[in-house]
Amino acid sequence: MIISLQHCDQCGTCIAVCPADAMMLDEFKVKIDYKACTECGICVKMCPIAALEVKNEV
Amino acid sequence: MKSKWDVIVVGGGPGGLFAAWEAAKAGKSVLLCERKREMGVPVRCGEAVGEVDFTKYISMEERWIGAKVKTFILVLPNGKEVKLKNDMYTGYILNRDLFEYDLATKASDAGVKIVMKANVTDLIHDENGSVKGIRVNEMGESHEYFASVVIAADGVESRIARKMGINTTLKPDDIEPCVQATVSNANLNENALYLYIGVCYAPGGYAWVFPKANNCANIGLGINGKYASTEKHSKDYLDEFLEKFFPHASIQRYVSGGVPVTTNLKTLAKENMLIVGDAGRMVNPMNGGGITHAITSGIQAGQAAAEACTDPGKIKKIFNKYQKDIHKQFGKNHESQYRIKEVVYQLSDEEYDQIGEEILKLDISKRTFLRVFTQVVKSRPEFLIDVVRAYAGI
Repeated sequence: MIISLQHCDQCGTCIAVCPADAMMLDEFKVKIDYKACTECGICVKMCPIAALEVKNEV
Repeated sequence: MKSKWDVIVVGGGPGGLFAAWEAAKAGKSVLLCERKREMGVPVRCGEAVGEVDFTKYISMEERWIGAKVKTFILVLPNGKEVKLKNDMYTGYILNRDLFEYDLATKASDAGVKIVMKANVTDLIHDENGSVKGIRVNEMGESHEYFASVVIAADGVESRIARKMGINTTLKPDDIEPCVQATVSNANLNENALYLYIGVCYAPGGYAWVFPKANNCANIGLGINGKYASTEKHSKDYLDEFLEKFFPHASIQRYVSGGVPVTTNLKTLAKENMLIVGDAGRMVNPMNGGGITHAITSGIQAGQAAAEACTDPGKIKKIFNKYQKDIHKQFGKNHESQYRIKEVVYQLSDEEYDQIGEEILKLDISKRTFLRVFTQVVKSRPEFLIDVVRAYAGI
């Protein structure tokens, strides 16, 4: 599974709930540290505007 | 730019700006790092503040006022409106972008050095675990700055405190993913704050309609995180809401944000770091309001930081006092509000409608917020003590 960004608004909700501290914001959008990410998916659920999406790896 | 400062503030929202301003007023050299490109933009919230709490700290300027409201209307799940009595409380809907822009101007006039597009990536620790400085990415370039005190005002993300070993991760129950549209052609019947309460509008939260000038309004909602799902995000609830109640309105701006609805962090000071505002979860968990708490804590953190720079030997005492004072001022109240939230947001739409009907039987002069809660207490008596505590401020 990978999480892809569609249209991040930089609100930081995903960062606040990430149990692995695997997300951070830069000037433009959220960045995901895939090494730390445990793929729990909570960020995908919590994003107010559905900017994160789970995609299966091809 | 110089690398050594008395105080570094991470984050340029109201909390960070007031903290920096206050420390600069006390004669300290202050650096404020803000990740975004423009002060105050994008706006992150409903922009409502109470006049009394706000003007305690700064006098209101005309251009910050989006609207002034004196009326509150609760809208029940069945659509009925319950107008509440309100003699003492005036609310403002701020133009928060202008407010923060002006605050930044005032702070820098007082000597604060503000850097934008400055993303704090790391803390630099000394051998005792204190924070010596920060590593900042400024438009692709890495810089290091050092200070005697660091103030974490980085908002709901609260990563600076995490880097100091404080667990700030919010559980799904303790955050409201919110989304808001600023609309034109809103055609509100009244210049009032409308709060739509009910599972049908926003499970575990509420929807708000706040008037702004020129027939505009901030229309938004927050759901409790435990109801968030990949099938239905906050924005889906808002789209439904707008379609149902404001089909003719045009959307001028979308903003989103996460509002912590938990109790304040226990640790608001660690070594030489202070935490203010949303980063310290200083938000009323019942209504999600946090602007004035950010301002209060910012001012006090700025003062504490300045004092500690002057008298480094007493830093522990000064910072402990900051933590204690904040807890006394609203930490305890938020614990009561938290328990009220736990009850109020568990009610069903039928229960909300019933409570509303009871309130509607009262003359408007008797319809106060306290009355609404006492009505809730009738169905949930165990809840009384928390309502009393919250309203008595104990």
